[in-house]
Amino acid sequence: MPVATNPTPDVADNEGHDPAGGQRDQPPLKSQKQMTKAERRELQEKQRAAKAQGKAHNAGGGGQAASSSRAAASSSSGTGPSSGAGRPRPAGPAAGPSYSAASRPSAAAASAAEDADNKHRGPRIFSHFGLTRQVAVNPKQGIMIHPAIQRLALQFSEFKITGANARCIATLTALKSVIEDYATPPHSTLSRHLMAHLSPQITHLVAARPMSVTMGNAIRQLKLEISNSDIDLPEQDAKDALCQTIDNYLRDRIFVADEVICALAGKKISDGDVILTYARSSIVEKVLLHAHSEGKNFSVIIVDSRPMLEGKSLLRTLTSLTSKTPNPIQCTYLLLPALPSVITEVTTAFLGAHSLHSNGAVYSRAGTALVAMLAKGHNVPVVVCCETYKFAEGVQLDGFTRNELAPQPLPSSSQFPLSKPRSSLVLQSTPKLALLNPLYDLTPPRNITAVVTEVGLVPPSSISSIPLAMGRQTV
Amino acid sequence: MSAEPNPVLNLPAIEVLTSKLRRRQVVGSRPAALETLILLRQVVAKARFSNIEQLVEIIRTVGRRLVQAQPKEHSVGNTVRKVLHHIREEYNTATKGTSAAPSTTSFSISKFISQGQPKRQNTGSGPNHHPQAMMKATSTWVNHVPAPPQDGRRASVQINRKEDVQQEEEDDDDSTDGEGSSAGPSTTTGQDPDAFAKGLKPVLMEAIQDVLDELETVYDTVSKNAKDHVHSDEIILTLGMSRTVEAFLKAAAHHRNFTVIVAETGPSYSGHAMAASLSASSISTILVPDSSIYALMSRVNKVFLGAHAILANGGAFATTGTLLAATAARTHSTPVVICAGQFKLTPKWNLYHEYGGLDFGDPGDVLGFEEGLLTDGVDVVNPHYDYLAPELIDAFITNDGDHPPSSIYRLIKETYDDEDNDL
Repeated sequence: MPVATNPTPDVADNEGHDPAGGQRDQPPLKSQKQMTKAERRELQEKQRAAKAQGKAHNAGGGGQAASSSRAAASSSSGTGPSSGAGRPRPAGPAAGPSYSAASRPSAAAASAAEDADNKHRGPRIFSHFGLTRQVAVNPKQGIMIHPAIQRLALQFSEFKITGANARCIATLTALKSVIEDYATPPHSTLSRHLMAHLSPQITHLVAARPMSVTMGNAIRQLKLEISNSDIDLPEQDAKDALCQTIDNYLRDRIFVADEVICALAGKKISDGDVILTYARSSIVEKVLLHAHSEGKNFSVIIVDSRPMLEGKSLLRTLTSLTSKTPNPIQCTYLLLPALPSVITEVTTAFLGAHSLHSNGAVYSRAGTALVAMLAKGHNVPVVVCCETYKFAEGVQLDGFTRNELAPQPLPSSSQFPLSKPRSSLVLQSTPKLALLNPLYDLTPPRNITAVVTEVGLVPPSSISSIPLAMGRQTV
Repeated sequence: MSAEPNPVLNLPAIEVLTSKLRRRQVVGSRPAALETLILLRQVVAKARFSNIEQLVEIIRTVGRRLVQAQPKEHSVGNTVRKVLHHIREEYNTATKGTSAAPSTTSFSISKFISQGQPKRQNTGSGPNHHPQAMMKATSTWVNHVPAPPQDGRRASVQINRKEDVQQEEEDDDDSTDGEGSSAGPSTTTGQDPDAFAKGLKPVLMEAIQDVLDELETVYDTVSKNAKDHVHSDEIILTLGMSRTVEAFLKAAAHHRNFTVIVAETGPSYSGHAMAASLSASSISTILVPDSSIYALMSRVNKVFLGAHAILANGGAFATTGTLLAATAARTHSTPVVICAGQFKLTPKWNLYHEYGGLDFGDPGDVLGFEEGLLTDGVDVVNPHYDYLAPELIDAFITNDGDHPPSSIYRLIKETYDDEDNDL
C-alpha cells in the first residue's frame, strides 16, 4: 500500500511558498486507523529510523495510542514553548488539539489508495496529475496545528469551501486567528519565529488540498509583512498590525475590488441581454445581482457540468434572491453538452477565473475553456471577471500540464440527477478503467475578449503589465 | 391520405411500430432501422399487387406513416428508401430479360461519373422527372412535408413502362384483391393478377434479406479496417455510447494497444456504459466528465464519434456534446472521424437550425426533481442531438468504405433513388 501521498512539496514550490526546510521530507500521514496494526508498526519503525532520535511517547502501542495520547494532551493550542522554532520536529508530547476527526474518512481514504494503485497502470502521461487525495488531516506527529487550520483543512478536503476567493478569505481568516493566538517564545523575535510557526499550518492546509493561486499570493504578501515588521515593536502591537494588514488585504484586494468589478462589468449588461455563465463564480454572481439591483432586465443562461455541478448553487442564489423582485432574472439551466443549442441567443458570456497568467490565459473551472471557445466561435464577447490578486506569475500553455483532480467519489452535492439509478452511473476504477476528473482547464487568450479587473477592462494581451503597473514588488 | 383500401396497410404490425416509434420505445438508428426492415418484409410478404408501382406505393405509404410517427429517427426513412431502391433494382434485373423496354431508374450524376453499372445506362427516363428530383435533393430537411401525392402516379411514373401498364394501373388502383383481371402486366404472365406478385416476391424478399444482412453485420463491416486508422499507443477520444464506435475500437484493439478517453456526455451519461464495455475488453480506458474535454484535447491524437444521421451536405446529427468535442478537436487540429453504418445516410439537409434536429429530452434528466425548489421558474434545456457541420468532420468510416464529407452526396445518390427523397 502506498504510504501517504506526497503532493505537498510540488505545490508549495509552485506557489512560491517555502515551508520550513526539513519538514517536507516526511509526507503527511494517512489516517492511521485504516492501516492494519502491522502496517502501523512498520510505518512507525520507518519513522523512527529516519528520525534517529527516538520519541519516547511513540515507542509502544502504535499510532492509536499515540493519537489518543495527543488527544488527551490537547490543551491551549499553539502556545506551547515546544512549537518547534525552526526545528523540524519538536520533542515531547505536543499540545495539539483534539484529533477526533482524524479517522473519519478512513473508508474513503482506502478507496483513494486503491485509485492511486490503479492510476499507475493508466497511461503514463497522466501520472503527473497526481493522485486523488482524500483527507490528509493527520499532521505530522508533534506539530501543533491550530484548530482553525484543522477545521479549514477538513473543509477544503471535503470541498465544503471551494472557489478561489472563498478559499483565500477562509485561509486568511484562519491565519489571523493563528496569529492572534501566537506567542513568541523566549529568545526569539516575532518576525523570525512567526514565519516558522505558520509554515506547518500552511503545509497542513496544502496537504488537504493543493493551494490555490490566490492563497499563494496572499500568503506571500503576509510573509512579506511579517518579515518587514519592526523587531522593536511590542509583540501585541506587531500582532495587531499583522491582523490589520490581513484585514486590509481582504478589504482592498477582494471586497472593494469586487465592488469595482461589479460596477465595471455591470456597464456591459443592458436591458434585454442574455448573459451566459458557466458553473459558479462568486464574482460573476455578484455582477449579476448588482446589475439586477440596478433594475436591469436580463436573462441568464447557466451552463453546468460534472464533476462539480456548481451551477446549481448559482441558479439557487439567482432564483431565490430575485424571484420576489419586480424584475426576476429569468434563468435557463443546461448541461455543457447542450451549450451549442443556445449559444446563438447569447449576448455576452461572463466567466470567472481561478487565476490569470501573464500571457493572458485564464485558469479556471474545467469546462470554461469549452464555453469560451464556443462563444468566441459565435462572436459572443467573452468577459472574464477577475480580481488582480488572482494574477499568477509565469506562463501556462495548456490545462494539462498542471491540474488538480477531484477526489473520487466527490464528497459534494448530488452529482447526477436521481431520474437514473445512480448505481448504473457510478463506476469504480478497475485496472483498465481510470476515472479522471480534472478540476481546471486553461482558456487560451485568443478566446477571451476582455478581463474585468478592479483597475479596469483590459484585453488579455495586456495582463502582464498590470501587476507592475500596480507597483507589485514580488513579481 | 392516399391510403387505398389495401388490406396490407391495415396490418397491425404497422400500427405497433408506429406507436413504438412515437413513444420512443424504439430508440437509436439501428434498432429503428431493423424494426422498419422487418416490418417492410412482412408488408411485402403480405402485400397483393399486380405491378411494381402498386408495391412501391404500398411501401411508400407505410414508410410515410413510420416517418411521420418519429421524424427524427432518420434511419426509418432511410431504410424505406433503401428497400425501395433495392426493389426497383431487383425488378429491373428481373424484367430485363423478358421485357422489351427495360425500365430505368432516374437520372443521376454519379452514375455518369462512375459508369459502373452498365445495366442502367439507359437514362431516358421521363423528362418531367428531372427537375423535380433535383429540386427535392436540394431542399432542406425542414421542408420535409409529408409526401404530396394524392395521385400516386406522379411518384411512380419513373418506371417508364408501356402505356398499357399505366392504363392497367388505373384500373387496379382501387382493387388489388384479384378481381381486376382485365389485363395482366405485359411483362409477366398476364392472366393471373397475382402472378406478377408471385413471380417477383422471392426476388424481393431476397433483396430485403440483403439489406437486413447488411444491417446486421454493419458493425463488423464498419470496423473491418479499424487497425488502419489506429496506431499503437494512440490516445483516442470518444463521447457517449455509440455501438459503432464501440465495435470499431474493440476491433482495433485486436491489433493495437491504445488508450481511449471516454467523455461521459450528460445528461444521459452514456459514456459510463461505453467505458465499462471498453475496459471489459481490456482496452485501457479513461472516463472523464464533459468539462475536461478541452484540457485533455491537447494530448488526444484522434477523435472517434458516432452519428445519429449523416446528412446530404456531409454534416451529421449526433448526440449532444459531439459538437463541443468536435469544435475543441478542430481548435487543436485533431482529426475528427465519424464511424457510422450506411443506413444513417440521410438525403436531407440542416442549414438553419442550431437546435440540432429540434428534439428535446426530459428536463428532469438535467435538473432532477430532487431539486424541486430550483425548477420553479427555470428553463431547462435538454436537446438530444447536435448538428455537426461538414467542416468539423475529417472522415466518415462506413461499411461502404471511408469517405470525406464532401463525397457523401455521391454515396447518397448511389444508395437511394432521387424520387424517394421525399417519401
